[in-house]
Amino acid sequence: MRWRSPGRLGDLTAGRALRTVDRFRRFLVSDHAAGWAFILPSVILIAVFGIVPILWGLILSFQKAGLISPEREWVGVSNYAKIASDPKARQAAVNTIYYSALFVPASILVALFIAHALNRRIAFVRFYRLAVFIPVVTSTIATGIMFLWLFDKNYGLANWLLGKVGLGPFGFFEDPNQAMIALVLMTVWGWLGFDTIIYLAALQGVPQELLEAASIDGASRWSSFWRVTWPMLGPATLLLVVWSTISALQLFDEVFFVTHGGPLGRTSVVVFYVYRLAFEQGLGSLSLAGYAAAIAYVLFLVILLLTLAQFWLGRRVVHYSS
Amino acid sequence: MRRRMLVGLVVLGLLAAACTGGDDDESATTGETASGPVTLTFWHGYTDYEADSLNALLDQWNAENPDITIDPLFVNNDKALQKLTVALQGGEPPDITYQYGSSLPQIAEAPGLVDLTDWVQSPEVDWEDFVAGARDAATFEGRVLGVPALIDNLAVVYNKTLFDEAGVEYPNADWTWDDFRAAAKALTDPANKQFGFSYPMDASEDTVWHYDPLLWQNGGSILTEDNSQAAFNSPEGVEALEVLTGMAVEDESVFLDLQNSPYTGLFNSGKIGMLVTGPWDLSSFPDVDYGVEILPGFDGDHQTIAGPDMWTVFDNGDGHAQAALDFVAWLTAADQMKADALATGHLPFRLSVIDDTAFVDEFGKTIPGVDVFAENLTNVEQARPVLAAYPQVSEAMGLAIVSAMLGEKDPQTALDDAAAQANDALALAG
Repeated sequence: MRWRSPGRLGDLTAGRALRTVDRFRRFLVSDHAAGWAFILPSVILIAVFGIVPILWGLILSFQKAGLISPEREWVGVSNYAKIASDPKARQAAVNTIYYSALFVPASILVALFIAHALNRRIAFVRFYRLAVFIPVVTSTIATGIMFLWLFDKNYGLANWLLGKVGLGPFGFFEDPNQAMIALVLMTVWGWLGFDTIIYLAALQGVPQELLEAASIDGASRWSSFWRVTWPMLGPATLLLVVWSTISALQLFDEVFFVTHGGPLGRTSVVVFYVYRLAFEQGLGSLSLAGYAAAIAYVLFLVILLLTLAQFWLGRRVVHYSS
Repeated sequence: MRRRMLVGLVVLGLLAAACTGGDDDESATTGETASGPVTLTFWHGYTDYEADSLNALLDQWNAENPDITIDPLFVNNDKALQKLTVALQGGEPPDITYQYGSSLPQIAEAPGLVDLTDWVQSPEVDWEDFVAGARDAATFEGRVLGVPALIDNLAVVYNKTLFDEAGVEYPNADWTWDDFRAAAKALTDPANKQFGFSYPMDASEDTVWHYDPLLWQNGGSILTEDNSQAAFNSPEGVEALEVLTGMAVEDESVFLDLQNSPYTGLFNSGKIGMLVTGPWDLSSFPDVDYGVEILPGFDGDHQTIAGPDMWTVFDNGDGHAQAALDFVAWLTAADQMKADALATGHLPFRLSVIDDTAFVDEFGKTIPGVDVFAENLTNVEQARPVLAAYPQVSEAMGLAIVSAMLGEKDPQTALDDAAAQANDALALAG
């Protein structure tokens, strides 16, 4: 906003007051005010449920504090220093990395395959597209109950079917070495629809003439997919890699409901460990909420750095068509 | 830049508003005495027929006491501590809330929690009439912080039909754990997906308290006498765990319930021969002809473990605390305890009620087997340590039991590893 001085007014103070009032009046009728009025409800929600807790968590991470006990003690960075020597935090970090390393590529590759299969003229294609998306809008609890029964070691459908072809029985969620893989299978199924829709949209944006040109030049379907389609999907792939990595590192609901970190802590991921410390074990005089907040902040920094790195990498390898 | 500043201003404004809001609330609730009728918020975790019984009592109270109205709210017991945490952060705890006894150390420092030490000595409470185990569990570091609301204990519940089919004799009060193990093995039929026994494997406190009676019967203990060190990895503790691993790993006669919930349905459909569980599960077995017997023993010691839950009171000012105490005293008095026990099968835990033979006879007819659980309260000899670091001790023990029963570690190694973790937690808590 530019302000032109009224100039001739002698009394400087009165001029300033008038200027302020006038400026405020102009602001009220400007697009700025209207814009802010429109987004105010979301600004308030984001502030109350986002920014305030984020700042409060930052303060908490420098204190020895429990969520019930009123006593707060400033301890500087000692909460952060403690993390490196905590074997359970290390286990949670390893579990989280293991999960993300499986979940991100698996969900993206499967989604790419299904999107490609659905991106053609076949009968009932709308039905298939709908079916793929339904798990995304199904609640985690319902998905969890279903998979618990499906993957039950003794009575589950999965083991019954695998038994028919001479495999198993598998322990799935009950076997310490398989629980994380079962969790990956469940979450890939649950999130597949989202990734598929993104890829479907991107596939439909691939210009037909490029593919035609490739086939005229003698490219096989396989090489025209990898040389033409795949590069054109770059922006979508980058979006999905970033998005999936962020959600994988923040995994909580499925662990909380289905495995509760078990068996033997093999599915105890970072956010679940933070919850256990802050809301289950460290409520009273143990005062572990500050320590939990410190872990949460380290996770935040890791996600931030990883995301920046992904975008930086993405700028160098992803091809954006005009 | 300008936009960022505006966001900042909005945030600051909201913060200011939030702070003022909090102040208003406080000044509104810090009155001294009741200035007229009060309504008390009351959290409980009862559903179904248990809630019917409680609501009948609440109706009776509300009719007799127009000045004190009780406003009940259902809160899942497993998450009552988390919900209380949130309520305390908001500065509005309930006047009365149901909490697990094991949560007392966690809420001991909560602002507004009413210390009941002096009040329980008043005649209206008749504190000495509660069984000793319940009074101990309500006391943390010499302060009484709750009034016993419910006591459970563990006993063997068995499927008579499966025993008959397998030609195994029913459990009796002189059983050893070897007898128990042999019966579990005989009742197991892999082809039919039928198991002799089921064990909660979620590594929670439920996993741990099923193991504690074996440990105690065998002469072991959870911690040293001064609560400073782990003691469960003693030879007695290892031997106790070997009973469970022998069944789970060698005999494969145990349904390892990692979710800790399918077992009720499986027992009710005749897939499990024996459970070690409490009276709360009996109503889930309408399809099974079951019997109840006290726990097997080591060397004739058949002691069990009690799980007491508490009513805790928070002071929200304006006479609420006194009104809440009056209500809790009434709710836990002998007459109300009898009415609730007959309606629900909840075990009575006032000596005057347990000694009332006419009542006990009638109580035994409510749900088959509850009388065994009621008598089994006399087999409670020890309580779990009530201390702030207990949740971490429990977590270490739970993981040890599960890893040994899954065959991942041998019992000695599992318990030694857990003892090291527990000792770290105990040292940290001071």
